[in-house]
Amino acid sequence: MAKISLGSEPVVGSLTPSKKREYRVTNRLQEGKRPIYAVVFNFIDSRYFNVFATAGGNRVTVYQCLEGGVIAVLQSYIDEDKDESFYTVSWACNIDGTPFLVAGGLNGVIRVIDAGSEKIYKSFVGHGDSINEIKTQPLKPSLVVSASKDESVRLWNVHTGICILIFAGAGGHRNEVLSVDFHPSDMHRIASCGMDNTVKIWSMKEFWTYVEKSFTWTDLPSKFPTKYVQFPTFIASVHTNYVDCNRWIGDFLLSKSVDNEIVLWEPKMKEQSPGEGSVDILQKYPVPECDIWFIKFSCDFHYKAAAIGNREGKIYVWEIQSSPPVLISRLSHVQSKSAIRQTAMSFDGSTILCCCEDGTIWRWDVVASS
Amino acid sequence: MSASKVSPSASGSDPPTTGHQESLLSAEEILAVIDSFKKQVALDRCVSIKKHMEENTQKVADVTKSLLKLSMERSNLKIIGADKSVDLLAKRQKDAIDMHNGIGTSNGDNDSSSSQEDGYGSSAILLGSSIAVKNAVRPITLPEVKKLPPYTTWIFLDRNQRMTEDQSVVGRRRIYYDQTGGEALICSDSEEEANDDEEEKKEFAEFEDYILRMTIKEVGLSDAALDLLAECLSRKSGEIKARYEDLVKSQNATFDVNNGNIDNFVNPYIDKDLDAALDSFDNLFCRRCLVFDCRLHGCSQDLIFHAEKQLPWSCPDVEKKPCGPNCYRQVIYEEKAAPASNNAAAMQIQKRKQGGLSVRNKSKSCPSESASSNAKDISESSDSEIKLINDVASSPKCTSTGKYGGNKRNSKRIAEHVLVAIRKKQKKIAASDSESVASGSLGSKDLNLQATQRENNGISSSQKLKSSSARKSSRKESLAPDSDKSLQGEAPSGASNEIESKQPVISSDDTLKKEEFIDESTYKQEITDDKCWKAFEKALYEKGLLIFGRNSCLIARNLMNGLKTCSEVFKYMHHSENKQFFRAGDGATFADAYLKADGSEIVGNAARRRSRFLRRKGRVRRLKYTWKSAGYHSIRKRISERKDQPCRQYNPCGCQSACGKECPCLVNGTCCEKYCGCPKSCKNRFRGCHCAKSQCRSRQCPCFAADRECDPDVCRNCWISCGDGTLGVPSQRGDNYECRNMKLLLKQQQRVLLGRSDVSGWGAFLKNNVGKHEYLGEYTGELISHREADKRGKIYDRENSSFLFNLNDQFVLDAYRKGDKLKFANHSPDPNCYAKVIMVAGDHRVGIFAKERICAGEELFYDYRYEPDRAPAWAKKPETSGAKREDGAPSTGRAKKHT
Repeated sequence: MAKISLGSEPVVGSLTPSKKREYRVTNRLQEGKRPIYAVVFNFIDSRYFNVFATAGGNRVTVYQCLEGGVIAVLQSYIDEDKDESFYTVSWACNIDGTPFLVAGGLNGVIRVIDAGSEKIYKSFVGHGDSINEIKTQPLKPSLVVSASKDESVRLWNVHTGICILIFAGAGGHRNEVLSVDFHPSDMHRIASCGMDNTVKIWSMKEFWTYVEKSFTWTDLPSKFPTKYVQFPTFIASVHTNYVDCNRWIGDFLLSKSVDNEIVLWEPKMKEQSPGEGSVDILQKYPVPECDIWFIKFSCDFHYKAAAIGNREGKIYVWEIQSSPPVLISRLSHVQSKSAIRQTAMSFDGSTILCCCEDGTIWRWDVVASS
Repeated sequence: MSASKVSPSASGSDPPTTGHQESLLSAEEILAVIDSFKKQVALDRCVSIKKHMEENTQKVADVTKSLLKLSMERSNLKIIGADKSVDLLAKRQKDAIDMHNGIGTSNGDNDSSSSQEDGYGSSAILLGSSIAVKNAVRPITLPEVKKLPPYTTWIFLDRNQRMTEDQSVVGRRRIYYDQTGGEALICSDSEEEANDDEEEKKEFAEFEDYILRMTIKEVGLSDAALDLLAECLSRKSGEIKARYEDLVKSQNATFDVNNGNIDNFVNPYIDKDLDAALDSFDNLFCRRCLVFDCRLHGCSQDLIFHAEKQLPWSCPDVEKKPCGPNCYRQVIYEEKAAPASNNAAAMQIQKRKQGGLSVRNKSKSCPSESASSNAKDISESSDSEIKLINDVASSPKCTSTGKYGGNKRNSKRIAEHVLVAIRKKQKKIAASDSESVASGSLGSKDLNLQATQRENNGISSSQKLKSSSARKSSRKESLAPDSDKSLQGEAPSGASNEIESKQPVISSDDTLKKEEFIDESTYKQEITDDKCWKAFEKALYEKGLLIFGRNSCLIARNLMNGLKTCSEVFKYMHHSENKQFFRAGDGATFADAYLKADGSEIVGNAARRRSRFLRRKGRVRRLKYTWKSAGYHSIRKRISERKDQPCRQYNPCGCQSACGKECPCLVNGTCCEKYCGCPKSCKNRFRGCHCAKSQCRSRQCPCFAADRECDPDVCRNCWISCGDGTLGVPSQRGDNYECRNMKLLLKQQQRVLLGRSDVSGWGAFLKNNVGKHEYLGEYTGELISHREADKRGKIYDRENSSFLFNLNDQFVLDAYRKGDKLKFANHSPDPNCYAKVIMVAGDHRVGIFAKERICAGEELFYDYRYEPDRAPAWAKKPETSGAKREDGAPSTGRAKKHT
């Protein structure tokens, strides 16, 4: 990371909780002994805003948050291969609106599950190694991207089962890709980050015809002319170690490495020369004891707050859009000692879920302030 | 730091004056000033971030609003279309809610039975509620899908690529994550290497400028202030000072701009000279592959100029017709009409002249006759119609005549001549005569005529004309002293000219034409024209001369399209030659001047080295190899067991004569190739082969024996026929004689399939049957240095998966991220293929060949020939383990994800 000099210092948030909101544990469940790596609410379909899915071991489970801290198990899927270990899951949907679960993990096979009929819809074989994250395009939820250990990011159409684009090659990642995210409003843009310590922003503008073609493709998916996107439009060296999570906040990016902090920065691209540009680091959100990799944070629907767990089972909830950043709350529980791999914030941020290394899922609900 | 006001600080209360007072300020005071500005900057930064954040927040709010709308629409859509099938997720959701709301107390049987009726298994279970858990959700099994053998995403390459700088791992810290051990290993180079790239000069940031400017404004320019500033900004004070001066300068500059109106819009590209314009050509065009941005040989190659120059382009000069509306010939043609209409007499002249010309053309054999008649014609016309003052009419001494006549190889030394009058029209008519004769011999009378007419329009002072033409003629014909040219004097020159004219030398024809037009009026005109010629256009023109010779039509059409018209080029051509004549001095002969002109052009070009305008993008720097810290040698595939590397990388030499001892090729131990600058006769050149019957398939072929492919440019009998032969193929000597040693060059490879290996991981398979020694395909990859290979190899070896292949003394092929399917061919001590490094058109390439007959569908193996002491267990010589290879050994997972 370039040394930050005077005049471009970021605003660092204070770790003193503002007590704006308080949360308390309302439920805790044990899903098994294997670590749970992912938990995610369904933001695709407003009917399912209170439905969430977890991925861990060879299992993907669907739950529902009910009032009073109650969690209902709705569905559970188990991969026949006991060695499979799901690392990520994402909600998507078919073009007719059927809710899909897209999960991937160690085996490198992407499982598309039709949650409406509780059947496997498709399995995408193609990645050369394990899959670290899957994300859904919010504007076109039948498009998903996957980040893989094989150093590539791939764009899939879950409806037709087509691998549309592969983001790899000459300008691609030089090590495992750990995280990927769609730009919320610009459909052509994605950001990916990984073990090569970089964040790369890719544009598929020139390839958009292929994306459109994928919706009307009737031939075998394997016959589709999959294209390589070899050059990102922007490469940022914001961190000096693995970058394991990045999210778009409008046109800014929130990313984290193993340095006990989340960084909010703005990519300043040069129109003329793709690939070059500078980074303006705007704000930093300290997260103590967060120095191991594969810890991911999440935001509520409106990107008002972000929640992240740490190595010791504590959760930090930051108000991300205020300047300077405000720590909304620090959540801790005596029994929560295991590393938190991922959190999920509900639509309005009133519920926070976290999944842990020891296979537990915790539910925190906001305490109504007097 | 926009619009920030200077806060009056403690020391700021001193009004910024220009006297000595500032230097009296103590260091503390200056520091206080600097500090206050620093605070100001920091504050501004916070404010700007806040503003920035607020803008973004607004954007995010808009986005999420629309997203919410979308998700609402989706749920509505579903409700409408829900009737066709049951949405189990929604159903379960409803069940759970119902259960939770207490309907569940009695739900027990009803609910479960109903769901069983549906055949969709049990309903939801609640966790953490007071209601007892009934029954667990039955898990749905996802049938197993066979996973792929692990691989890293790679790009297909059909030819090798040189590594680009940004791909280098040298000097970078890399972290290797060991999945089995769950630990991360840092593979970084020694410290001193890692620091290499940190030294880049830091630009002055906006805020630094601000502090600098404001502080000095506040406390005045003094060494103390500069020193303190330097300290605060952690820079050298010299740097600070220089920057301050820059700032002041640029401030003034902007001030000037604001005052004066600078509104010239200039085409940036017109401004540059040709060197700049051609910069990308020189730096990005590969002269070996004839493509721009060659990935194999890189950009910014040394420019090699061949010792043997190519002759200027010459096409049979059928081009007597105007090349376009702006052709100099066309101009002549058009202008012909003008005088005619102005002056009725002109018509007559024309007619008469035509008559005269035809006569002349017919009567070539008796030149004197025609000449005289011609002269008469002219004098007649000029006298009668256009009242001219005839100074020297019909005198052979007439300078202009002499000039034209002589040059034109007008066999009849034209005795005619012309009146040097105030109006040159007459004179030009005379000139036209001579010209018409000259070109008449080439068969287009009309054009000549036009030319003549046009010349009539030229206007210049008679005096000038005389003198200049006199000089010119003297230069052109050293034989004939201009002042008193005698008939005898001219006769020989005429004769010699005639001889010349019989040779169908087009370029001379061009010259000839040029000369015709040399005349004061045009010359003058050109002086003004000349000013309109941009430096870059001039340079372009010079290039044109080299390529096309003196053919303004071709130059204008091919090089100056849209910039200059043919006639402009033509005029310029004259003008520039004139200048050269003048420079050459009176004594110089025309031929000399000519030569000189040519020579200087050539020299000028050759002298042009690679220009300094290097494009940053894609620039490849030659790497220097230091072997220090190269203690580690990674495992690489090789073709021979020997330790030494017999192949040496070829780099073309730029020798301009036969290569001597100092020729880089000789020094390096490689042969000279067709890409070298040296002449073909160079002793160090590889001569190719003369094989015919043997088809270059055995070691009897010198190319084959030297591990080279035949080259149609070099070998005598190795050629490539293309198409069905209708386009004129070199005389066939029967198919059996076709060279079989050009397979890599022609990419005549076998179809290779990628599949799950019978041995381990991926494997390469053959689609069709092939015979022994058949070429199967190329092992392509990134060309990296040995040093780079060692660095990369560290991690590859740890992963037990290496795609490194030793190519020659300079390069190693790495097929890890870029390559061909053949990179997946496995190792075997008893293989059915073998690899061979072959020199193809100056480059080393790896070909994979069949060692025996291979049937369709068989897996391909070859011996990696790892160095025995470094080979991994599966490749050790004693046949303990069979053919095993890069087994990624997918492990139990990432139970421990740690840094």
